[in-house]
Amino acid sequence: MNAIVLLEDVTKAFKNKKAVDDVSFSINKGEVVAILGPNGAGKTTTIMMMLGLLKPTSGEIKLFNMDPKEKRVRERIGAMLQEVSVIDALKVIEIIQLFRSYYPNPMSVEELIVCTGLSDADLKKRAEKLSGGQKRRLGFALALAGDPELVFLDEPTVGMDITARKQFWQTISHLKEQGKTIIFTTHYLQEADDVADRILLFHRGTIVEEGAPKEIKMKLSKQSVSFVSEEELTIAELALLPNASNVYQKDGRIYIVTDNTDKILAEVFEKKYKISSIQIEQGRLDEAFEQLTNNREAI
Amino acid sequence: MNAFIMQCKVEMIRILRNPYFVFWSLFMPIAFYMVFTKIFNSDIQDKEMWQAHYLMSMTTFSVMGSAIMTLGIRLVEERTQGWSMFMRITPLSDHAYFAAKMIGQTVIHIFSIMIIFSAGAIVNGVSLSASEWMLSGLWILIGSLPFLALGTLVGTMKKVDTASGVSNVIYMLLAISGGMWMPIETFPTFIQKIAAWLPSYNFGNGAWEIIRGNSPEWMNFIILFGYLVVFMLLSSYIRKKQEATV
Repeated sequence: MNAIVLLEDVTKAFKNKKAVDDVSFSINKGEVVAILGPNGAGKTTTIMMMLGLLKPTSGEIKLFNMDPKEKRVRERIGAMLQEVSVIDALKVIEIIQLFRSYYPNPMSVEELIVCTGLSDADLKKRAEKLSGGQKRRLGFALALAGDPELVFLDEPTVGMDITARKQFWQTISHLKEQGKTIIFTTHYLQEADDVADRILLFHRGTIVEEGAPKEIKMKLSKQSVSFVSEEELTIAELALLPNASNVYQKDGRIYIVTDNTDKILAEVFEKKYKISSIQIEQGRLDEAFEQLTNNREAI
Repeated sequence: MNAFIMQCKVEMIRILRNPYFVFWSLFMPIAFYMVFTKIFNSDIQDKEMWQAHYLMSMTTFSVMGSAIMTLGIRLVEERTQGWSMFMRITPLSDHAYFAAKMIGQTVIHIFSIMIIFSAGAIVNGVSLSASEWMLSGLWILIGSLPFLALGTLVGTMKKVDTASGVSNVIYMLLAISGGMWMPIETFPTFIQKIAAWLPSYNFGNGAWEIIRGNSPEWMNFIILFGYLVVFMLLSSYIRKKQEATV
């Protein structure tokens, strides 16, 4: 089996409050997986359990088919966590060398510098004197120090500016090309959409949706066909079209919400309506995300 | 193995770069030593003995301080900043990490002992026999163990501020009442009686005996060993309890 991360019926309760509730999933080698969800959805708790830093209340977690606490596992993983400050009184290069010494086959310093964008001047600085963004780069360097096969990134881009963020995701796709498996959490929907092969959508401690970004979009947000009508068309009439699930008017355009835009188009042309400037809206993940989390909120 | 040596080295670098360590464990003991042997020394009969005695007082004072405070506060800092948690996902084991800290700290103690002994030899020309230098140094090194254990006990505290406040008070109380600043004979009898049971007095007394050509008293060994066991048990008990809540 190719699964290098396996969670089975994992639950974590803090004082009777379930932070993670009966979650199961597996991740294969070479996948880039986003754990997406609003604050308090259980993303960080799940990451911490996968790393063996928190013990599940029930259920089982295996990395490389072993307990996450095993030394042989820790030699093959790297992580960037939230709320971990830098070790003080050491220069950046000293910390990097220290971390490289922990692993059997560390990544070279040159490679780490290329990956993280730390400059030579940064390397000579004391770690506590770095700016927030530079500290994140150092955190990233420490995650990669052991040339890990499996990388965990918990909200990696918080505190990065746009350029740094862009560079960061470029590095991630580069790492993906090398066959590394990457798991990251984010609440930036765009990031999950752009980078991930698969999204695990968390809400209130459970996985509410799972699939490729495209599939999630398909599932969660209806597409629509919109146009400007040149004749009097009633909403009631359009609503009778077999594939229309909703019809509404907005800013002088008529929107037909549907599961199948092709069929709606065919139907509209068949009726020979006088319409112009036709557009197909795919529905963005942002909407899907809000829709989902709001819906769940209501339950 | 390479990782372990690196870790020890890094721990030493971090202590040496810590301004509090340099001030409290190197500068202050030497400054005190000069003040009490050079300036306030008018009515002392055996000057040579006093100079050697007070050198031992200040060396034990220095080592006791860095064992309790440097170690204890650093442990709290590393925990509150998430660093000790982060270390747990690296292949370096908890035991190796802890052992590296202890070894790093011990090497630093050797370094402090050598610096302060040299200061005594240079400032006052304190001259002891080779075996007295060696034995007193060794005594101070080994006698620091209960204070390292006390440091790990301080290290279980939740906040850096509490840890530094509490350890400061403990350190000063232990130093003064243990006779490290003034000989215990100058104190009222009931304080002398209490002092005889303190780890600091027994720590200092071993060294004071060695430079007088005696060996440390049995009670010094027993009491220091007793404190070592108590502090170790307490700190590992608290640590276990803290881990259980996760």
